[in-house]
Amino acid sequence: MRIADVLKWLLLVWLALTIVAAFFYVHPAEGFIGESSRIVFFHVPMAWIAVLAFLISCVASVRYLMRREPKDDIRAAVAAGLGLLFAVLATTTGAVFARIMWGAFWNWDPRQTSIAILLLIYAAYLALRGAVGDPERRASLSAVYAILAFVTVPFLVFVVPRIYWSLHPDTIINTRGANEFDPRYTQVLMASLAGFTGLFVWLYTIGCRIEAIRLRRHQEALDD
Amino acid sequence: MWRLLAEALAVAGKDLRAEFRTRVALNALGLFALTVLAAVSYTVGPYRIATADRPFLLAVLLWIVVFFAALAGLDRSFVKEEESHTAPLLRLAASPAAVWFGKLLFNLVLIYALMAMLVPLFCILMGYRIVLLPAFLALLVLGGYTLAVVTTIIAAIIARALTRGALFSVLSLPLLLPLLIFLIQGTAAAADGTAETLASSIRAVFSMAGIMTIVSAALFPVVWTD
Repeated sequence: MRIADVLKWLLLVWLALTIVAAFFYVHPAEGFIGESSRIVFFHVPMAWIAVLAFLISCVASVRYLMRREPKDDIRAAVAAGLGLLFAVLATTTGAVFARIMWGAFWNWDPRQTSIAILLLIYAAYLALRGAVGDPERRASLSAVYAILAFVTVPFLVFVVPRIYWSLHPDTIINTRGANEFDPRYTQVLMASLAGFTGLFVWLYTIGCRIEAIRLRRHQEALDD
Repeated sequence: MWRLLAEALAVAGKDLRAEFRTRVALNALGLFALTVLAAVSYTVGPYRIATADRPFLLAVLLWIVVFFAALAGLDRSFVKEEESHTAPLLRLAASPAAVWFGKLLFNLVLIYALMAMLVPLFCILMGYRIVLLPAFLALLVLGGYTLAVVTTIIAAIIARALTRGALFSVLSLPLLLPLLIFLIQGTAAAADGTAETLASSIRAVFSMAGIMTIVSAALFPVVWTD
């Protein structure tokens, strides 16, 4: 068995244990309705990966503009595609939580606005990729757009919620400090973050390999 | 430096002359804004909205009209060059930095002309009273500038894509939404007199203007020459 296979099985066990722990190891947190606080173990990793994928896409875009290697363009595109998936998951889990806690799936809270705009950015990025025929031009134009979008995200994530009012609970947790937070929560949340990041890395490497094969076949077809 | 400025002014001057011959962008922006304003004014009018909601809701309407009018016409600057096949000549004639700056100046003229016409008219038709007028004007100037910077680089991107019309709005809106939020909150604050929110909105728009200027100036040569 190769190391990659071992890691794959480990990831499976790890994620299964994390999911079980999320439901049986921790107690529902105070101040949240019913069992709703458990969604943090799934919502936060999804949001984190959506942002991480966005970061990878931007770093790959900058590298593409510097080195002009198709490999970097593939990385940026695959990360953006996965980022869109995880942003959708973060949005839906967040909406379920909002329905239970605040009574409505969607109320344009600044945090919801920022994830919705992240979704729009990913969708726009993929739409741009679909609209440019020439591969090299597609790579450089989408790299430029990814960087431009990356510059706007901090305004949404950090500036908008600070200036205007937000219901999102994480600012409350931050001001209270980590001591009042149940240590079991931190353990399971960290485990879940690590597990889902592993899942993302696995999906990402598969995606990059598929795209690299596709590119090679395309070039072979052109050479024939 | 002076050469760059002279080239940029030449590019902007050429665009303005060409624009005044056909008035495609001006008509698109101005007539779109007027039509929407007429529709809003007819359906909402000065008395439909409760007094407490007025500062915020009218700010929303104002900026939606400005943004969508901008999205209707500000892509012309680059799309025109590709459609009339003059872009390669412009690439030979001027440096990328001069082209970017010239096109930005052209878009600035368009957006400020639009605002100069639309904002007073909106305030009169909707009975919108602004309490903190000087700060509101600063917000308008900064907001118009940031809007022009973002739409200039996006127009340059979509001019090189296959489908241009819809793509301009699709690509611009996600980048413009934080700006839209700042401008709406700032305008609402200017209308109801909360100087603190207005000041933080102006700071946010100002920092966005600075960052967007630097990033688009740095990235434009890639879009233009590739």
